[in-house]
Amino acid sequence: MTAVLSLRDYTLDYLTGSRPLRVLQDISLDIAPGEVLGLVGESGSGKSTLAWAIMRHLPKNARELSGSIRLGDTDLRGLPPRALTRIRGRRIGMVFQDPSTALNPTLTVGRQVTETLVNNRGLTRRAAWDLALELLGHVELRDPDALMRRYPHEISGGEKQRILIATAFGCRPELIVFDEPTTALDVITGARILDLFARLRAETGVAALYISHDLALVSRVADRVAVMKKGRLVEEAPAASIFARPAHEETRKLVAAVPRPENRLVHDRPGDRVLLAAEAVSVRYARRRLFRPPPPPATHAVGFDIRAGEILGIVGESGSGKSSIARALTGLADFSGGIRFDGRPIGSARDMDGAYRRAVQIVFQHPDGSLNPRQTVGEILSRPLKLFGTGSADLPAGNLAAEIGRLLEQVRLPAAYATRWPHQLSGGEKQRVAIARAFAAKPSLVICDEITAPLDVSVQASIIELLLSLRAETGAAYLFITHDINLIRQIAHRIAVMRRGELVDLLPIDAVDADHVHPYTRDLMAASPTPVG
Amino acid sequence: MSVSWLLRRLALILYTVFIVSVLVFGITQALPADAAVTLLGENATAEALNAIRERLGLGDPIWWQYLRWVGHAATGDFGLSMRTGQPVGPEMLTALGRSLLLAVAAILVMLVIAVPLGMLAAVRQGKAADMATGLISYLGVSFPEFVTATLLAMLLADSLQWLPATGYVSPLEDFGGAVRHLALPVLTASLILVAHVARMVRSETLDVLHSDYIRAARLKGLPERTVLVRHALRNALLPVVTIVALDVGYLLGGIIVIEEIFAIPGIGRQLMVAVTARDLPSIQAGALIMSATYAVANTLADVAYAVLDKRIRYD
Repeated sequence: MTAVLSLRDYTLDYLTGSRPLRVLQDISLDIAPGEVLGLVGESGSGKSTLAWAIMRHLPKNARELSGSIRLGDTDLRGLPPRALTRIRGRRIGMVFQDPSTALNPTLTVGRQVTETLVNNRGLTRRAAWDLALELLGHVELRDPDALMRRYPHEISGGEKQRILIATAFGCRPELIVFDEPTTALDVITGARILDLFARLRAETGVAALYISHDLALVSRVADRVAVMKKGRLVEEAPAASIFARPAHEETRKLVAAVPRPENRLVHDRPGDRVLLAAEAVSVRYARRRLFRPPPPPATHAVGFDIRAGEILGIVGESGSGKSSIARALTGLADFSGGIRFDGRPIGSARDMDGAYRRAVQIVFQHPDGSLNPRQTVGEILSRPLKLFGTGSADLPAGNLAAEIGRLLEQVRLPAAYATRWPHQLSGGEKQRVAIARAFAAKPSLVICDEITAPLDVSVQASIIELLLSLRAETGAAYLFITHDINLIRQIAHRIAVMRRGELVDLLPIDAVDADHVHPYTRDLMAASPTPVG
Repeated sequence: MSVSWLLRRLALILYTVFIVSVLVFGITQALPADAAVTLLGENATAEALNAIRERLGLGDPIWWQYLRWVGHAATGDFGLSMRTGQPVGPEMLTALGRSLLLAVAAILVMLVIAVPLGMLAAVRQGKAADMATGLISYLGVSFPEFVTATLLAMLLADSLQWLPATGYVSPLEDFGGAVRHLALPVLTASLILVAHVARMVRSETLDVLHSDYIRAARLKGLPERTVLVRHALRNALLPVVTIVALDVGYLLGGIIVIEEIFAIPGIGRQLMVAVTARDLPSIQAGALIMSATYAVANTLADVAYAVLDKRIRYD
């Protein structure tokens, strides 16, 4: 049987500055009818470029040196733009990473679904509208009629991704390229999308290329898995066996980086001294208005305590109020209720004096947003050092450079990085700088707000290792906000589960699988993809 | 967009107009012009001056004079012109009508030229069409309006004799004549605006064309025309709405030069005449009407914004 998609010795360069950069080298792969090929690799391994090459949507500086890309018996490389328009959507569909940016914000959902169906299936508008209703109902969306009349910002990310998947399948292509379709979604939503993918695939028998950096996830959805490293395919194996018997070193690295709940990284027990206690903390965002009921709070009367040196995980889906807790504890959001820090009562953001702000530090999810692009790493790190005067005693006062160097080495970066700019660093390095900035204040509590979410699995593993060794050195406690259940089960002493602004469970780590947990906690644990084999 | 938002915006317009009225009244009071002297001339007798001061209430306290003026202005009565003796209100509103006609026509012509030009430049980024648009834009902004106006008048009115060089005809009386008389001033005003709006449309379109949803639209197989017209244009036009609202302000103020050159009795020209003649009621009325028009134009722009982009909700 002929392959749906077939690449032979495909090589591609990007022209960057002086010399070309090899992005894909001699890629050969086949996808059989009805087969799902998983493609994994770190960021920069070339897996997304491969998707763009297949979709024939390469940037202007791409140069294809050799090889062929065939869809059935069509040579995609030889097609003129007009013919490509007839291939895209009709014969190859694509589902993107971030559903919220893949839809035009100024057109209704219905308009965007039907225009695709009109264009790719040759339907009339009315027939396309009816088909769209049917498709949306088929992907378990409630009230498709109302949904079709909404604008993208009025529906959730999970709903948007369902709509995009329904549209892609509705065009009846031979192949669908999935580019990390669950990465931008939270665990439970992502798990449901994967179930949907499995069901539609079984029903339609469409072939798929499924791209992800998460080997655990890919091994669950794909028939075969291909591993990429630096533009080369280094291993191809059946999904069932790749976890058990990884052949290539890169695959072994990816396997090792996958967090497994049974593989605990923290073995100590925290002390008994309560460092910070939150009592009935509620956060409200919108302004109060006359004659208008107040908006529901982002978090409602949440109470917990963190002991010195403890790692407390906060988990929950997006919008559950996890980050609002972080914002309240750092004085970034107004809150009602109270906080006790080291026995001192803190009633509002105004009570947070220098000592509190020094002791409670935060690391944000996106280092791109939290590092000032106009300051060098050295300048960024010098701010907390000067502000809190926390340079170590054995250094002469004012010897900032030495102190910055010490901080950088503490987060395993070369001291010479002090003169670099944030844009010269990789994502993982930037996050290390953000961590160094937090530790410059010699904090006793560091709030980590989804700090590994934008990172690859392998980079994530090294950041976690760093955090654990920093904790060993300084004795800092962590409030670790994440939606990666497997990761938090490796490191947390206790886990707080949040849902719709409320704390539904606060459990010691060894009790999360017990029978008495909240049903939502059970769902959350079940939704986390654990590796096959 | 809620009713309460609209009401609040309306209140804001009134507030703006109130502030302006205080400023306008204060400034005209501070001017060295004595209304009585202006009216009767330098050689008037002291008794005559006192009599007219008495009649106009110039001896009353300032705040009382202000309240009296605002109270009358609210009913459309801005007093009598010191120059012509005619009621100022109707005269200024008629003049505003002529200026608005000129401004709206100029904006429409500008949009018809600038939007396709900007999009073309964006689609052909770095190619000849883009360069040409850039050059035209730079020339457009570089020439002050009196140069553009003079050049156009020399070409179209003097050399080719296609259009009348000056004057104004009401479209209600003679539509064809009005169009011919408005053509030159409208062209001058729109050419200046085309320059920066085309550049704005170009950069916005470029931004939009690089967005994920445009990539998604292309990759789901939509033809390029649909991608550009249905998906890119609307989003690229959003910021242009704000610019157009600001341009209304520019046109009402900056149009003075154009009205002067082409002898159009619009509000700018009336205001100039009033200032030269120290015609206080006309100055007050003109300034107040112009600022109110500006405030209304900006509110309309915000409304248009919400209509175009459903993510923007005023509540």
